[in-house]
Amino acid sequence: MILADNLHVQFRTAFLRRRVQALNGLSLKVSEGDFFALVGQNGAGKSSAMYCFLGLLKPTSGRVELMGKAPELGAAVYRDIAYLPEEPHYHLYLTVREAVRYYASLYGERIPDKNIDETLERLGLAQFRHLPLAKCSKGMKQKVGMAQCLIRKTRLLFLDEPTRGLDPLVVREFRETLREIHQQGATIVMNSHVLSEVEMLANRVAIIERGKVVVQDELRNLLTIDRHAYSVRFERNGDLPGYLTAIEQTGNVVKAQLLKENLHAFFDFVRTSDVALHECSLKRTSLEDSFVNVVKGKAPAASVAPDTTAQSAATGRVS
Amino acid sequence: MWELMTANITADLAYYRRSRLLLAFMLVFLLMICLQTLPPLFTDSGVQKFNTLQDILSGLNFFVMVLCAGLGLFIMSSHLRSRNLKMVFTKPCSPAVWLASAFATAVLVALLLNVIVYASTMALSYIWKVPVRTGLFFVSIETFVVSIGLIAYLVLLGTVVHPALAATVAVIFNSDLFYSAEFWARSTVAAGNDGWFLRTLIKVFHFLYLALPMFQPFASKTQNIHTSLRVEHGDWKYLAYSLGYVLVLSLFCYSLALFALLKRKHI
Repeated sequence: MILADNLHVQFRTAFLRRRVQALNGLSLKVSEGDFFALVGQNGAGKSSAMYCFLGLLKPTSGRVELMGKAPELGAAVYRDIAYLPEEPHYHLYLTVREAVRYYASLYGERIPDKNIDETLERLGLAQFRHLPLAKCSKGMKQKVGMAQCLIRKTRLLFLDEPTRGLDPLVVREFRETLREIHQQGATIVMNSHVLSEVEMLANRVAIIERGKVVVQDELRNLLTIDRHAYSVRFERNGDLPGYLTAIEQTGNVVKAQLLKENLHAFFDFVRTSDVALHECSLKRTSLEDSFVNVVKGKAPAASVAPDTTAQSAATGRVS
Repeated sequence: MWELMTANITADLAYYRRSRLLLAFMLVFLLMICLQTLPPLFTDSGVQKFNTLQDILSGLNFFVMVLCAGLGLFIMSSHLRSRNLKMVFTKPCSPAVWLASAFATAVLVALLLNVIVYASTMALSYIWKVPVRTGLFFVSIETFVVSIGLIAYLVLLGTVVHPALAATVAVIFNSDLFYSAEFWARSTVAAGNDGWFLRTLIKVFHFLYLALPMFQPFASKTQNIHTSLRVEHGDWKYLAYSLGYVLVLSLFCYSLALFALLKRKHI
């Protein structure tokens, strides 16, 4: 679906003409049916990578293929693509309804008014349909962006920080809608800082650091469960037993880890000390843990190294 | 393609309709023209009425030409600066279609403005009984033709440079300036101040004069029509020539603007 091979993007700053390397040999492959998430720190190159995939940014060097073709602005291949930008770069002089209609009509087909109204209703925009986008809040603009993505069936959906500025109810509904679209066969590429959201939605993840992919793998490989250790959270009311390794403490609630052989001893401790136990589960490496490990230079749970060749990008696995 | 053109033109018309800057500009000029029409209401002199009609027509036409240049500049610079074209070009709508739509919308608005000016001056000529209708028609058509060229040129400048720089180039560094500069340099050489520097300057000014577009290439031939508002049989051909020139100029500006748009590193 998408193939990026050794992409480099270099900018120059406005006045001092200093070089800024936005992408530095980024290679990845998104296959049909993937729910692919790009995660990384601010300025890691996630949005630049997405712009390159969409043809909005010309790479200094390297190759991009979008559905088997080099991305060319406004080409026929975009008939099957929808894009939700990170910044609300919309036609602010249009009203909510006009904007959704305009973006839908750019696919060259007539979208019935009923569909537009239904989509606006679904996203809670119906009562603001005559409000100019310039007067809409950031969240409302984001919903307009979502509306234009959801109004027609697409094969490939690009989402750049899709839930930024949205209220929790809409986030939840949007998540459900994305799952639905994905189940119907659409490929989704998403940039997000919200790693919990990525965990809930994506099946493949690429961690980008300083303009290159440092980890690209199935999400399940990044979320490992350690069957020999437990993670516990409880209200502390005295000294901790020696077998517990405290991870963090918020107020008097402690998050700690212990080995499986100490589990019975821990439950005895809970009973005898009258500790309020909040949580006890098998130790799990979250995407956040993997991400932090990668960013801090430690090996991630599912240890994978960067890839710079088209061949390995095509396999989808970074060697 | 027509569906895409229609969608873009509808959106661009909404842009013009809701642009407060354009609206303010229009209101100021209309107020000025209204003030200009007041004195003849209190006189019976036919000559005075003719002069006023001529003043109103030239004032309105100047206003329409400036506004049309603004239409071309604003539509490009506003879309490029607000970066909303990424919403257009990530749909199956090519930059060529979008640019053609933007140009067509500006031309449509220019046509509408010219029709309004023509209708207003025709109404005044009926009310004041000044029989110069053919002249009014000729001048209005000529203004429309000039407007098309101005729109095309400002669309190009708006694509390539910052709007402030585009406006400066259009208003100051135009072919008239370099014609005057060439004339001055030639006069200085004729006065005996000959030198390689002045001779080079003459060549540079002449090149720039030829390179920059002229919006009224047959102005010297049609100047009398603007003062007398009377059209001779042979005058219409200059209108056709002007139209041909402006169409070629528009095609050239469109191609260059499209090239610049496609060559942009970042939309």
